[in-house]
Amino acid sequence: MPQAPTTITDEIGIALHNLADAAAAPFTPTLRLGVTGLSRAGKTVFITALVHDLLTGGKLPGFGPLAEGRLISARLAESPDAGIPRFAYEQHLAALTGPAPFWPESTRRISELRLSLRFRSRGWLGAWSGPATLNLDIVDYPGEWLLDLPLLSLGFAEWSAQALARARRAGAPPEAAAFLAAAGSLDATAPASEPDAQRLAGTFTAYLRASRSDRHALSALPPGRFLMPGDLEGTPALTFAPLPPPSSTPRHSSLYAMLERRYEAYKDIVVRPFFRDHFARLDRQIVLVDTLRALNAGPAAVSDLESALTDILACFRQGDGSPLLRLVSRRIDRILFAATKADHVHRASHDRLEAILNRLVARAARRAKFAGATTSSVALAAVRATREGRAGDLDVIIGTPEAGEVLDGTTYDGSTEIALFPGDLPASPDAAFDAAAPIELRFLRFLPPRRLERNDEGEPLLPHIRLDRALDFLIGDRLK
Amino acid sequence: MRRPTAIPMPEGSAAPAAGARPPRAFAPSDVAPVTPQVESYSEPPPAEAALPPPPRPRWLVRMLWTTAGLLVSLALGLALDALLANLFAASPWLGWAGLAVLALFLLAALALLVRELAALWRLRALDRLRARAAAILLDDNLDAAAAVLAELAALYAPRPDLARALARLEAGRPQLFDGAELLRFAERTLMAPLDARARALTALSARRVALVTAVSPRALVDIAYVVWESVRLGGAIARLYGARPGLWGAWRLLSAILGHLAVTGGLVLTDGVVEQLVGQGLAARLSQRLGEGVVNGLMTVRVGIAAMRVVRPLAFTTEPAPAVRDFLSDLAGALRPGETA
Repeated sequence: MPQAPTTITDEIGIALHNLADAAAAPFTPTLRLGVTGLSRAGKTVFITALVHDLLTGGKLPGFGPLAEGRLISARLAESPDAGIPRFAYEQHLAALTGPAPFWPESTRRISELRLSLRFRSRGWLGAWSGPATLNLDIVDYPGEWLLDLPLLSLGFAEWSAQALARARRAGAPPEAAAFLAAAGSLDATAPASEPDAQRLAGTFTAYLRASRSDRHALSALPPGRFLMPGDLEGTPALTFAPLPPPSSTPRHSSLYAMLERRYEAYKDIVVRPFFRDHFARLDRQIVLVDTLRALNAGPAAVSDLESALTDILACFRQGDGSPLLRLVSRRIDRILFAATKADHVHRASHDRLEAILNRLVARAARRAKFAGATTSSVALAAVRATREGRAGDLDVIIGTPEAGEVLDGTTYDGSTEIALFPGDLPASPDAAFDAAAPIELRFLRFLPPRRLERNDEGEPLLPHIRLDRALDFLIGDRLK
Repeated sequence: MRRPTAIPMPEGSAAPAAGARPPRAFAPSDVAPVTPQVESYSEPPPAEAALPPPPRPRWLVRMLWTTAGLLVSLALGLALDALLANLFAASPWLGWAGLAVLALFLLAALALLVRELAALWRLRALDRLRARAAAILLDDNLDAAAAVLAELAALYAPRPDLARALARLEAGRPQLFDGAELLRFAERTLMAPLDARARALTALSARRVALVTAVSPRALVDIAYVVWESVRLGGAIARLYGARPGLWGAWRLLSAILGHLAVTGGLVLTDGVVEQLVGQGLAARLSQRLGEGVVNGLMTVRVGIAAMRVVRPLAFTTEPAPAVRDFLSDLAGALRPGETA
């Protein structure tokens, strides 16, 4: 039986928080934007580009409030939560816009940022009340942690069955066999011993890490803290692994019972607070999906990405509640699904990229629509790393691949610019899931753009693809 | 399906596979960078049915008018011929002078005709542009949107007042990848300043009409003034949006505006009955003359709104469509003492 993701106490806490926000709303309304995406989907770059473009009034012709001249200014405001580190916007921007630009390192801890937007409303009320303010709260976190959310509704036995089935399937890396052998050699009903648990957890972690490499690019790999442990490394809560169901009812002192306790502790200590504090109270959500990386690795990675996204998105509270109910229960009423890194394909392929994205999130989108949320999808690049060109009869993209990227035996050094034709995306999105007929595609990682344009104040302007449209969908209606 | 192949430099050595083309890498020197290019785009004329076509005169009536015109032309030709013959009979140089004047007259008439035809063509081009833009908003075709944008830019290129808006449009364009987005951007950039001026023109006309009606001694004077002001307003708004209608153009425009008003039954689409009632109530509370002034002013406002809808090359999507209620405060202000200036 699926368990509820939160306890009664959590629910009361969430409702009280929402009430407090609702009380402050008439003065400065707050919009909590959930930037959702698995690791390497581009959350940090998206947030950095979004904040930078809003702060500098960058090139956002499709963002209504800015195009209509109603957005007066934006500034970084004091973070509302003193216990959470501030999003290192300045460092990330320096990385992207320096003389030798590089992508920000992968996120290792949670951080938060509040952006205050000052604007004039277009309605008749706006003419009386003058400029209004909207606070935009954005949270950045390691994408691996997101994988834990589906665990909230799974017991140890169910999770074990799922995890073992995943380890046994065809596309799994060789490390899975070592883990399965270790799990098979242990007697789950025998008395618990710490070395056994550590050995098992060690092989399990090695298998998870191997699955994540670019060659396999698998996504559904909970628990997420095994991949990005943070300061919990080595604690009992992170020393467990799935076990096959025991033949008899395990005793309290058995290995099975101990790992089950640790699994529940992991959920209580790690997952539930993360969910309660950051995901239970969102207004808008953008789901960043790195479709190209999964396409690079093949159909197994694509279908794995699909199931991971569907499971994760099921945990969010979506729907269009009544205004009265919204006082105590916040719901996500707009969801944007975004295929990131759209600059890695020519604009002629954007439609197909969007079609594949729609196919990937179809189940999640249907559920969100049923709940009453508005959804949309877009192929975007928060920072555009390439230009477009034409070689012969091929539409190519021109950029500098990262050092170490390989295509057909040529290893690039990170300073030569090349024109790449990455192959045709399939016309029918279902072809991406078809293991019988793999598609010929190869996407390289490109370095961030050099020699950026600058605006009148000398601030660099980050080129992008459809970031303005995404912004307009996500927050444009709250700036009307 | 072929394996991904990396062919170093030589161009065209990899023959593309039949269906999907394999990935390839090129040196940038072999590549011609492209800026997004506008292809010449032609589309079958869309079945535009927003406004019902004006009723066609029946063939008998048409024959009557045609034959009458023919007869008048024949009479004119005969008269001219007789005039020239008389002039030549009086004196040869008088005859030559008459002939020269006639040639000049014909030339001027021809030039006028060409101008009128051009004006009519421009009006029709605006209609076509609007229909195409409406289709693009649905199917999101980037090339078609670029073509519409190029036509808009060509239409407004001679206008000094739109130079800045056109420059902004050009600067924002490379950032947009969707046809519908491109059109919305064009509407925000190009149409918004024109809308503001069209509204100002409408408000000004309405105030003038209200004032003239309130002080005019005879009802006939008001009616004449309302008609004259409406024609003037329609022409001014059409010129503002780039239509520059001539004599026939103005006639066609007026019939389009009246047709629009007839279709909407005097109620502009975005208005509710409430505004109408407010208008009536406001009128009743004031004295009779002032009330008539407000009613005539409202009529002018409706003409202005209809003109905006008829000649604007892009339909209202991102910008708020004009509504009668936007002008109520202007009208009330016109009739309040001390604010009439």
